[in-house]
Amino acid sequence: MSDTIAASTGDTTQPPAGNERRISGVSIRLEGVTKRYSGQGKPAVDAVDLDIPAGQMVMFVGPSGCGKTTLLKMLNRLVEPTSGKIFLGDEDVTGQDPDQLRRRIGYVIQAGGLFPHMTVATNIGLVPGMLKWDKQRISDRVDELLELVGLDPEVYRDRYPRELSGGQQQRVGVARALAADPPVLLMDEPFGAVDPITRQRLQDELIRIQEELGKTIVFVTHDFDEAVKLGDRIVVFDVGARVVQYDTPEAILADPAEEYVADFVGAGATLKQLTLTRVSDVELIHPQVTRAGADAAEVVRQATAAGEKYVVVTDRRGRPISWPSVAELSRVATVPDTVDEKLPVVGLRSTLNDALDTMLAASQGGVVVTGRGGVAGVMVVETVMAAIQRTREEVQG
Amino acid sequence: MWDYLVDRRGLIAFQAFQHVSLVVQCVLLATVIAIGLAVLAYRSAKVTGLANGVSAVGLTIPSFALLGILLAPFGFGITPAVIAVTFYATLPILRNAVVGLAGVDRSLVESARGIGMSRLATLRRVELPLAWPVILAGIRVSTQMVMGIAAIAAYVLGPGLGSFIFSGLSRLGGANALNATLVGTIAIVLLALVLDLVLVLVGRLTTSRGIRV
Amino acid sequence: MTASAPPGAQAYPETEVDDADAQVQAPARGDSATSRGAWRGLLVQPVLVLLGVLAFVVWRATAGLSDTESRQLGWDALSRSIVDHLWLTLVAAVIVLLIGIPLGVLLTRGPFRRATPFVLGVANTGQAAPAIGLFVLLATWLGFGFRSAVVALVLYTVLPVLRNTMVGLQGVDARLVEAGRGMGMSGFAVLMRVELPLAVPVILAGVRTALVLLVGTATLATFISGGGLGQLIVTGINLSLDSLLFSGAVLVALLALAIDWLGRVVEHVARPKGL
Repeated sequence: MSDTIAASTGDTTQPPAGNERRISGVSIRLEGVTKRYSGQGKPAVDAVDLDIPAGQMVMFVGPSGCGKTTLLKMLNRLVEPTSGKIFLGDEDVTGQDPDQLRRRIGYVIQAGGLFPHMTVATNIGLVPGMLKWDKQRISDRVDELLELVGLDPEVYRDRYPRELSGGQQQRVGVARALAADPPVLLMDEPFGAVDPITRQRLQDELIRIQEELGKTIVFVTHDFDEAVKLGDRIVVFDVGARVVQYDTPEAILADPAEEYVADFVGAGATLKQLTLTRVSDVELIHPQVTRAGADAAEVVRQATAAGEKYVVVTDRRGRPISWPSVAELSRVATVPDTVDEKLPVVGLRSTLNDALDTMLAASQGGVVVTGRGGVAGVMVVETVMAAIQRTREEVQG
Repeated sequence: MWDYLVDRRGLIAFQAFQHVSLVVQCVLLATVIAIGLAVLAYRSAKVTGLANGVSAVGLTIPSFALLGILLAPFGFGITPAVIAVTFYATLPILRNAVVGLAGVDRSLVESARGIGMSRLATLRRVELPLAWPVILAGIRVSTQMVMGIAAIAAYVLGPGLGSFIFSGLSRLGGANALNATLVGTIAIVLLALVLDLVLVLVGRLTTSRGIRV
Repeated sequence: MTASAPPGAQAYPETEVDDADAQVQAPARGDSATSRGAWRGLLVQPVLVLLGVLAFVVWRATAGLSDTESRQLGWDALSRSIVDHLWLTLVAAVIVLLIGIPLGVLLTRGPFRRATPFVLGVANTGQAAPAIGLFVLLATWLGFGFRSAVVALVLYTVLPVLRNTMVGLQGVDARLVEAGRGMGMSGFAVLMRVELPLAVPVILAGVRTALVLLVGTATLATFISGGGLGQLIVTGINLSLDSLLFSGAVLVALLALAIDWLGRVVEHVARPKGL
């Protein structure tokens, strides 16, 4: 994956090349990890060896019952391995106190697993609390994390989980897992219970967060598209958690190791290459960008001079909040700070498919693209179609 | 103990029969009353709330107190026993019937009306059968509960196994006092179990296979 | 057996918990409108009780009573009966809570978990045991008096508390327990911070049930010389004095209603926010 990034660097809107990325994760090494349940002939997980490099997002995929979730839960010892060793960095954690170990490993499950009787802030502050942080530090950390996952602390800190949408709950779940800044994050089908559009946004956010933090993430999913989109590497499992193939998404798509992988990847494997094309791989349009509260007349004048019909409005942190037309702006004195909930936004690392889905869902002909420094540009439907067409020709040719 | 059982097997059997007969008849009556009230109540949220409130408050009234209150107008005998037992039996069934009927999927009711069923037919063919498992759960709760209440009714000279307990009490320390009390208590628990099993069986037979769990 | 609010009251919570294990997690129950409704519901009951008390006091002050009647219904005798009754209830209630809740917690832990269905089955069957039988049996064993009455009351009312504690804890979404363990909470911390708080509504319903049951069942204590308001009823029946009988019955019923209301208020207030 880092190759792709490096190859496409050059455009100023690109994220820094892979080797410059900050890495705060540690490597994970499994040696002969086995789980045998009494009364069952075959082990659920059979002598798995696996090396997960620091700072990478590794996806576990495979049919249900293949042992991928059991393997994940052995990493934080929610399931005790029958035999074998697990190393975090160079440290053998197999004999460590599980509770202490788990406080150093973030854990995200479906629907966030938020405690419904605690506020968002309490939920997030649980692990720091157990680690005896002082109150002020916890409260600062909670706000910082809410910002990180794109929720306004002022609004969401004191809410209860049921007052949040599914996607918001999931964001809080991620924030909670990151609370004590653990080097490793385990995610067990976290986005399985949300609608496709929300899932795609959450995936984009996760990519963005991972680019900022560089954790080691192990992510279980049964959705191969999700694995292709998110993973630096993918592990394909068969029954007994047998590792059938462990490689980059590109390599697995181009060259499935066995018939089994090919079947699992699905018939449309070549077309899935499309999901590998990122928004950052295509030319973006650079629109007129302004902050809410700016003088509307001035903005309109500049936009007209530049021949723009639309202006992207951002909040004070540079996040896009609306995308009004010049005509609309010419009717007001200052640029309004209303947030357009339906504003189509994707990240630079989103796939073209995502971008297209987002436009369709918002019934818009374009989409705002955000990068690390805020708005990276906009993309219109024609660009996407052309890019898809080009990729398709490449794949077929 | 064994001698006691053998000696009084006739009386025990008679009182057991009386006890069960009182309970079964009262529960049947209560079921009819409760379903009738529920049918009247479940369409309006207000009346439903009222029914639930009455049911909850009614259940807090101690049965011995109610029996006492009923003695004043009706005197000793079977009348206060029947009224009290039926009263308590009605309440859980009423609550479950209201909940059960209100819980029937509105779209099913609409589709029943849509294919031309009358209000009554919809109630009889769709709503009541679907609510039946919940109603039956209420009947089971009622039956267990009034088996015990019927024992106290013996104090106001209602029929049943409670008379063994009270005769044990009145001759406490004397011969057979313990035996009498044990027979009364254990027989009630056993009969309650049997009735519950019968109701489970009734449930199997009367619940549509499509919604059986 | 007296006033079985309990089996009835539990029938619902139980099935709800049983057939929807996601219930605890499921959001959007009770918005502000229904909670306003709940408060209004909570207001009716104390008004009823107050009216009842008022009616009783007026009747007591105006009715022409015979000597025997006035002796029993004198304010001193009456208040002693009420205090006795409440004391019996309170002592039994404390013991019931001290036994029922810890035992319920214990029986849902680790190796005991297998026994849970068995215990619940026994608890359900126990509901059918006639309270009066229990009182008499204990009197033959421990003799007449307060002690036997308390033991009988405890035996009889510990079941709903035990049962609801277990059902409440079982109803907690297993994924939340796992999430707690997964973030490094100890088993005890998960119990105290996640499982018990989430089980509070069900446990409190069991406690209220037990309290109401206690107030009602304590009437029977008089049969084994345990004191309380039952005495008025029994004396009234024995001497054919309707005024005594009626006073005892009405006062017990009012007491039960009042306790039930208190329980509901506590449930309403103690219910964890966010549920």
